[in-house]
Amino acid sequence: MNENIIEFRNVSIDYPLRKYTIRAVTDVTLGIKRGKITALVGESGSGKTTLSSSIIQCISEPGKIASGDIVFFDNVDGEDKKIVVSKFKEKEMKPFRWKRVSMVFQAAQSALNPVMTVEQQFVETLLAHGEDKDKQKQRARCKELLEYVKLDAERVLSSYPHELSGGMKQRVMIAFSLLLNPDLIILDEPTTALDVITQSYIFNLLKQINREKNISMILMTHDISVVAKFADYVGVMYGGRLVEYGKVNDIFRKRRHPYTEGLINATPSIIGDIDKLKPIEGSPPDLMNLPKGCIFSPRCPYAQEVCVGEEPSEICLEDGSKGRCYFFKERDNGRK
Amino acid sequence: MTKDKQNFKSFVKKAGRAIGRFFVKYKYFFAKIGVAVVTLTLTIILLFFLLRLIPGDIVELYALKLQAQQGITFDRAYELASQLLNYDPNEDVFSAFFRYIGGLFKGQLGESYLETGVSANSLLKTRLPWTLFVSSVALFVSFFLGVLIGGYVAQRRRGIGNKIASTYIAISGSIPDYLMALLLVIVFAYKLDWFPSQNNYDAFNTTPGFNFPFIGSVLHHAFLPILSYTLVQTGNWILHMRGSCIGVLGEDYINAAKARGLSDRTIRNKYMRKNALLPLVTMFGVTFGALFGGATLMESIFNYPGIGLEISNRIVNKDYMVVQGLIFFSAAMVIVVNLIVDLIYPLIDPRVKRG
Amino acid sequence: MVKVKNFFILVGKRLREFFIGVGKTCKKVFSNPKTIAGFSILMVFVFIALFGELIFPYNADTDVANKYLDPSWEHPFGTDWLGRDVFRQVIAGTSSVLEIAFFSAIFTVVIGTVLGIVSGFVGGWVDKIIMGITNIFLSIPSFPVYLLLAAIITIDTPVTLALMISIWSWAGLCRAIRVQVMSLKERDFIQICAVMRMSKAHIIFKELLPNVFSYIVINFVMAMRNAIMASVGIMLVGLAAYDPTNWGAIINAARTKGLINAKNIAILMYPLVAIVIFQAAMLMLANGLDETLNPRLKVM
Repeated sequence: MNENIIEFRNVSIDYPLRKYTIRAVTDVTLGIKRGKITALVGESGSGKTTLSSSIIQCISEPGKIASGDIVFFDNVDGEDKKIVVSKFKEKEMKPFRWKRVSMVFQAAQSALNPVMTVEQQFVETLLAHGEDKDKQKQRARCKELLEYVKLDAERVLSSYPHELSGGMKQRVMIAFSLLLNPDLIILDEPTTALDVITQSYIFNLLKQINREKNISMILMTHDISVVAKFADYVGVMYGGRLVEYGKVNDIFRKRRHPYTEGLINATPSIIGDIDKLKPIEGSPPDLMNLPKGCIFSPRCPYAQEVCVGEEPSEICLEDGSKGRCYFFKERDNGRK
Repeated sequence: MTKDKQNFKSFVKKAGRAIGRFFVKYKYFFAKIGVAVVTLTLTIILLFFLLRLIPGDIVELYALKLQAQQGITFDRAYELASQLLNYDPNEDVFSAFFRYIGGLFKGQLGESYLETGVSANSLLKTRLPWTLFVSSVALFVSFFLGVLIGGYVAQRRRGIGNKIASTYIAISGSIPDYLMALLLVIVFAYKLDWFPSQNNYDAFNTTPGFNFPFIGSVLHHAFLPILSYTLVQTGNWILHMRGSCIGVLGEDYINAAKARGLSDRTIRNKYMRKNALLPLVTMFGVTFGALFGGATLMESIFNYPGIGLEISNRIVNKDYMVVQGLIFFSAAMVIVVNLIVDLIYPLIDPRVKRG
Repeated sequence: MVKVKNFFILVGKRLREFFIGVGKTCKKVFSNPKTIAGFSILMVFVFIALFGELIFPYNADTDVANKYLDPSWEHPFGTDWLGRDVFRQVIAGTSSVLEIAFFSAIFTVVIGTVLGIVSGFVGGWVDKIIMGITNIFLSIPSFPVYLLLAAIITIDTPVTLALMISIWSWAGLCRAIRVQVMSLKERDFIQICAVMRMSKAHIIFKELLPNVFSYIVINFVMAMRNAIMASVGIMLVGLAAYDPTNWGAIINAARTKGLINAKNIAILMYPLVAIVIFQAAMLMLANGLDETLNPRLKVM
């Protein structure tokens, strides 16, 4: 049994615009572990949303996969079936969406159709996937899920989206994502618009779903403290590249890539002194005008001559971590 | 006895509470109705006093006309005029106003000074059907086309269709509707002689009623007015529908619906169209309400006997009471149709509070 | 003495800043091809209105011997039923049309903006009263009222006609400005001004007005367009016939002479085309300005 559920193989994604083409994701090779939570960290514009929405071919217009494959491993009775989803036609993709891979959107408030009740939207999705047409069963299924996320199912089902609070909507979206028992849920910054208490509540809920239902998750966020608490694996993205990947402990202890180190140093903690925060100098890369060599080199405090020459290729280590930095192996800031 | 009294008291209390709750529950409706009533009242007052500002004594004007026609002395003509005219020059403004309001409550919009038996009501009865026939057919056709085309090009913004639509919008937006009508008359009536240039039906060869020659003639005569309306308004509706659709397509719930595996057709109809149409419903209502006033210029170019042409003719002939009635009627229809749209809007857009 | 000198230096500095700001905005605004096209056509019309009659003076004398001449070098658009040069008529009518458009746009925008800002900013009873008035003006159909007003007022100058048109066309703008002001009032930067106890004049002139300014500019152009539509319409039914060379008046005269005669059709086509070109230019200018000044509303 393959331990990955999704594999990105040298995936590049382009946005062809009128005058030039922007490469939003460049040569990403990444395996998403089955039954685990993999976090994708990076600033906005780093390509994490583009990358993960490419699984279900929902990249916002006019983005397209330029090269590489996305492979989905279907586990049928202990036997692996390899499905190349990036080669799917729109017709084949439709049943795959939500049934195998579902998504919780960044802005839950706007991810629901404002003129339909929650129940109408749930039922519509069930019908689109040819599920049971029995109204009683449909309702029971919706209720079960909403109760699972600890909502007042009766009330919520007959509500319109604008009648629910932000936290409620986010829980509705989570229940929604579970509707067809998917294998993988993509969580696109699921808590950005919520207060801290609701945030931790939502994350505990997600963790519980991950454990109980054995659903794999991709968690996109720029909040590094959330990652430390909930993720099993972490991928760090910068300028469309996967600059570092590894187990959550390795990432936080060793901070091999200078960008990861910068991110962690720039995160405030409750006990820490605010003066010790070290923001990363400079600004995120301009995708239309990338620097030569390693794209992080202009902001990197450790940059050397070699860094501004060629772009470093991926260096893989024995413990499963990998990264794009000339000194990836040597650098180990770990407190072992 | 006392028991009955107590029962009655408690009944009154209950009924009072129920009425109170009713008012609170439908606050939205009553607020809207209240605003409409106030606007209507102010409109009556404004129109009435606006018409009193018109200089010149109507009796005198009519007398001059009679003098020229019949070759009599002015004094004799004046006497005759004040007898013939349905108008009392010595009545003061306020009693005239209250007489007018009283008439309104009886449903009388205004009697003609000049012709006995002719009133705003009788003119509405004969003229309004023609105005409404032409303009509402054009409105429905152009709205339907605009919504279809606007929705279509919004999804294919890079395609050739959108370029054509944009060009069409620019051209139709640059030609005022009455000039469009004039152009169509020139081309199709005078140059090609395919359609008649005047009137609403052929009065010599057909008799009004439910027969084919008459209906055919009516349609033949109505074609150019309807076409010119439609040509101009379609561009407008395409523009609004496309803008609204582009706004909706940028919303997250469209992408979310795609991620849920819904078909493109469902997304287009239930998600894009339905949401994009909401703001257009109000606009449709406003436009529909404005139809009742007729289109003066359009009707005068086609010499089509609608409300607009009637108003302009009556203004020229200084038959002001009828003018007042007709303008008031069209303003009232705008207000009433808007009120209806306001009242049914919460039923189609759940985000608007029902009160 | 030094004080005066300093004052002038300060004024100079402010003026310089102002002109640099204007220059920057102009550069931005005139980077849009639609704006350039619309503005150029408008400038051509303005030029014709200012100098056209000097170059091609119009002689209203009749010359029946030369009626209905075909276009020639002497009479580029031919002559009308009384032998008058149509080309020169159209040229002479330009200034009349533009004056009405310009004055009417100014009146409309001023009335609409002032009432809209007052209504949205002050709120309460003032708002209710202004909105009530606006509702009436929006409900009563405008064209019949123009006809009525034409019976009340003697229209003999462009300003009177422009004023008459404006009286019935400010209401839509007023309502739109009010909505914008009300939403701006909720925004943080205005709220902060209120907390800091800045004067109302400051909030209105320094914070609100600049934020609705682009909207006002676009609406000025649209008001010009609507004024031409209304004024030509009024002329077309024969009212306000103070200037027989106004494009609407020419069209009306040719129309009443009878469209059976193809010559009359030819005569009215020239002012008609001029109106359409002008309207197209206004539309382009408004769209171009809209694209640069409101980048979020990319519709066309």
